[in-house]
Amino acid sequence: MNNQEKFKEDLLRQYIDPERIEKTPDGFTSNVMTRIQLETLPLMVAERSRKKNLVPVISAAVTILLIASAFLIPVSQTDSFADPVLILIKNVKFSMPEINLSSIFRLTLPSVTIYVFVGILILTLFDRALSRVFHSEK
Amino acid sequence: MDYKGDIYNIKEILAGNSNAFSYIVDRHKNKAYNLAFRICGNHEEAEELTQDSFLKAFRSLKSFKMKSSFATWLYRIVYNTTISHVRIKKKGVLSLEDFPADATDFIGSNTTEEEAEKEYRSSLVNFALQKINEEERGLVSLYYYEEMSTEEISDVTGISKSNIKVKLFRARQKMLEIIEKVEKKKLIYHE
Repeated sequence: MNNQEKFKEDLLRQYIDPERIEKTPDGFTSNVMTRIQLETLPLMVAERSRKKNLVPVISAAVTILLIASAFLIPVSQTDSFADPVLILIKNVKFSMPEINLSSIFRLTLPSVTIYVFVGILILTLFDRALSRVFHSEK
Repeated sequence: MDYKGDIYNIKEILAGNSNAFSYIVDRHKNKAYNLAFRICGNHEEAEELTQDSFLKAFRSLKSFKMKSSFATWLYRIVYNTTISHVRIKKKGVLSLEDFPADATDFIGSNTTEEEAEKEYRSSLVNFALQKINEEERGLVSLYYYEEMSTEEISDVTGISKSNIKVKLFRARQKMLEIIEKVEKKKLIYHE
């Protein structure tokens, strides 16, 4: 910067006071935050609805997975598609009490019925757990 | 500049706590508003433009690289938003007659002569700022009010350092000519 430029800069500095800055009016921050909240609200609603829509998708995926697993588990001499699942459950190393349904209700139900009921119960509990996750408010 | 505070708040916002943005607004609002006001020369417009800039910053916070200064990044948004607005809405040229003759016009009921003189000088600078173009206004504001170096101004505006020096020189010259004319008018008025 030459002398003339320096002189002009100093001259202008006599008029400009950097301490004297224009300040925002009262409520500026809250106005900005209100605008931000108004803008983000539809996004939050969309996100919530997206999460809600995920529940039936996950349920369908789990159901498909269970049905597919029944077909895909390889076993020999199977009569029906449920047999592989039954064998798989029987192989699990814990004992389940045997309930003789025919003696209680005098009904002749296929032996798979008890496992179907247990399956429904497990899926219901799973659905409740998912519902808590996806319906919880932040 | 509270650099660490900015980074902490930005991480909070990105994690989903949008309320943390209020700390950022509080920290930078006056300087951002001052820059917008110096460029557009109107308080209502400056408020609107500063709010818009903060909103733009909030929306594009994900694109902010934590390595650089948040203030510089924010000023770039304020500068570009205000310059674009002023370019669209070009105002009529102010005449010297639009400026009050002297400091006595700035004396209020509770104002001392010294305060009135300060107010007069500040208004004179604002008047001179409005007589130069919007780009020069931004540069003068960043250089004199925000006290930024030409390198920092270059980061904000995207103009090269050498070009900033040339533009600042011209702006200074124009402003001093205007100030000189007003001061002469003041002398004539008193004679």
